[in-house]
Amino acid sequence: MGDLNEIMEEIIKTFKDQILDSERIQGIPVWYIKKEDIPEIAAHIHKTPSLRGTLSMQWAADLRPMRRACRIYYLFSLESGGEWLILATDLAEGDRLFSSITPQIHAAKWYEREIRDMYGLIPVGHPDQRRLVRHEHWPKGAHSLKKDFPWNTVMKREDGTYTYRRIEGEGVFEVPVGPIHAGIIEPGHFRFSVAGEPILQLEIRHFWKHRGVEKLFENLSLINGVTLAEKISGDTSFGHSLCYCQAVESLLSVDVPPRAEYLRTLFLELERLHNHVGDVGAICNDAAYALALAHCSRMKEQIMQLNDRLTGHRFLRGINRVGGMALNLDSAQLKVILAETTEIENDFRELSNILFINASLTDRLETTGILKERTARDHGAVGVVARASNINRDVRRDRPFAAYGKLNIKVPVFQYGDVRARLRVRIEEIFETISIINRICREMPAGLISADPVKIAKPGEWGLSAVEGWRGEILCFVMAGKNGKIHRCKVRDPSFVNWPALQYAVLGNIIPDFPLINKSFNLSYAGNDL
Amino acid sequence: MFRIIKKSLKKGIVTGQYPVSAQPVPEVSVPSQNKVTPFHRSLSIREVDTGSCNACEMEMNALMNPIYDAERFGIHIVASPRHADALVITGPVTFNMEKALKDVYRTTPGPKVIIALGDCAIDCGMFKDSYAVTGPVEKHLPVDVKIPGCPPRPSEILEALSALMGRKKGSKNRL
Repeated sequence: MGDLNEIMEEIIKTFKDQILDSERIQGIPVWYIKKEDIPEIAAHIHKTPSLRGTLSMQWAADLRPMRRACRIYYLFSLESGGEWLILATDLAEGDRLFSSITPQIHAAKWYEREIRDMYGLIPVGHPDQRRLVRHEHWPKGAHSLKKDFPWNTVMKREDGTYTYRRIEGEGVFEVPVGPIHAGIIEPGHFRFSVAGEPILQLEIRHFWKHRGVEKLFENLSLINGVTLAEKISGDTSFGHSLCYCQAVESLLSVDVPPRAEYLRTLFLELERLHNHVGDVGAICNDAAYALALAHCSRMKEQIMQLNDRLTGHRFLRGINRVGGMALNLDSAQLKVILAETTEIENDFRELSNILFINASLTDRLETTGILKERTARDHGAVGVVARASNINRDVRRDRPFAAYGKLNIKVPVFQYGDVRARLRVRIEEIFETISIINRICREMPAGLISADPVKIAKPGEWGLSAVEGWRGEILCFVMAGKNGKIHRCKVRDPSFVNWPALQYAVLGNIIPDFPLINKSFNLSYAGNDL
Repeated sequence: MFRIIKKSLKKGIVTGQYPVSAQPVPEVSVPSQNKVTPFHRSLSIREVDTGSCNACEMEMNALMNPIYDAERFGIHIVASPRHADALVITGPVTFNMEKALKDVYRTTPGPKVIIALGDCAIDCGMFKDSYAVTGPVEKHLPVDVKIPGCPPRPSEILEALSALMGRKKGSKNRL
């Protein structure tokens, strides 16, 4: 860490004329920079070998009525998710142009298009100026996160067209899929260009489910935002609510009691367990191995029924609150959890042995949908997808939250980046998760389960938090407004960074393998579209 | 091979191992029941997500697992609206999905039973009046059955579908 500080000092020296101001907020260094200088400094942080800053999130906030300006934030994770660094630049009211960093940092591609749609700010030099969130029928000038855009505006449908990237040539066909898919899946549009069987290009078009979550947060108070956070993505209800709670807790300087932290860890791992078990079955089913699906969906149901018995909700909703937990578990319940997870461990081990000796299954999974390490790094991929492509990144170990600092987590990493690697990451994580749950149940400290906030947040103060949900790193930024309300809440589901990476993993594969590759990523549409 | 058989024998039959729903069964009007009568004991469902958080989808998926196994009651999930007797719609209808939903409705053959699944589909839940939401399903299509819950448990969905299909409670063909 000492070296890192030295390197940072060096950058500050190099750019000392360009850094207007710097401060530490909640322990995170924040540098204020003129908008013209952003691309140069961002590229330096991204490309310097000793820093290797990954762009983790880029977002804007309309600071009105506090200040008549928009501020754009760039969050970098240095050296594989260790230290955070934030660059910030202000755009005065009426100034609609900012310099795009996408030509230097590929990961910024969707973020900048999102900022353009939500705030009407134009990323100058961005290679793709099409709309992202606002579909073609949105009225002109409807930039929903601007403060002068009422949250309950009734929008009129307008006519418009969306141009897809096209590949032309002899024998090249386009295959449009969606937004409504066969099976019980969320809506999204995939457009394949194929020549014969192999995919030449895939363009993913999302945001069909855009519900205005970030705008709706601004109607809620800091304390009540949890209920909306739970509905960002149903399968990650607990992960999102935990991430939101932690951001608000850091903002209100709440010290969460140890028992609450252990309980949170326990529930987060239970969520990981039921999702991973379900995914293993679903991936095998997409390779026409229905036996695994039958067993896995049975085990998944067993865990969800356990969730229901413990908390009264199958998706673990309504148990998190700012300051701790709204629900306690007694020792008898902990014993039940221990017994059930041990049963599932044995059950699942038998199944995984069956899976690994099945040659026809392995044949389908191996070398299918390879996401190269370089591509994954360029996209800033997170979670299971990153760990299957040789990127050793896990928030639980790199920036410990809740009780993870005391638990010494093992992080499985695989090199090949194919469907089988992603399946194996999940299988290894299932065993690790069960071991974590066992340790928590045995080491659970006694004491209170929630604490009250000690301070009131001033308008403009903010908190930031990261949680390793079962899909990957969830980020949440909460800025306080007047009277304990939320001024701005930015949520980044891991799906938002992994979706664009999927476009590259499918290249050269055949269309019938796409469902399999897509399932091995298993990304959220709701969390992406917000 | 022996491992697979051994595992299956060891587990035995798990179907039906779930707690009985404690929620009241949603009422189904007579005209809606009449719509289902021609299908006798089967119902082909097309699931359409118009902006839900994915929890309702997961519970619909759970209906097909070995524990609930909705197929034993003749409930099938089909891949196209053209094959569907009923549409199950989840989530508030978003501004971006409105047209797609109407397209699905148009391509579904009559008598088209419409089921609104979950609180969001019934009254938009927390997303009520949001700029990106154009209203509950009812505003766009005539709804026959409403299954409340956030999300409703699979056992509750199964009860509601059984009620729609006119199975009497306690009869052999029900649960």
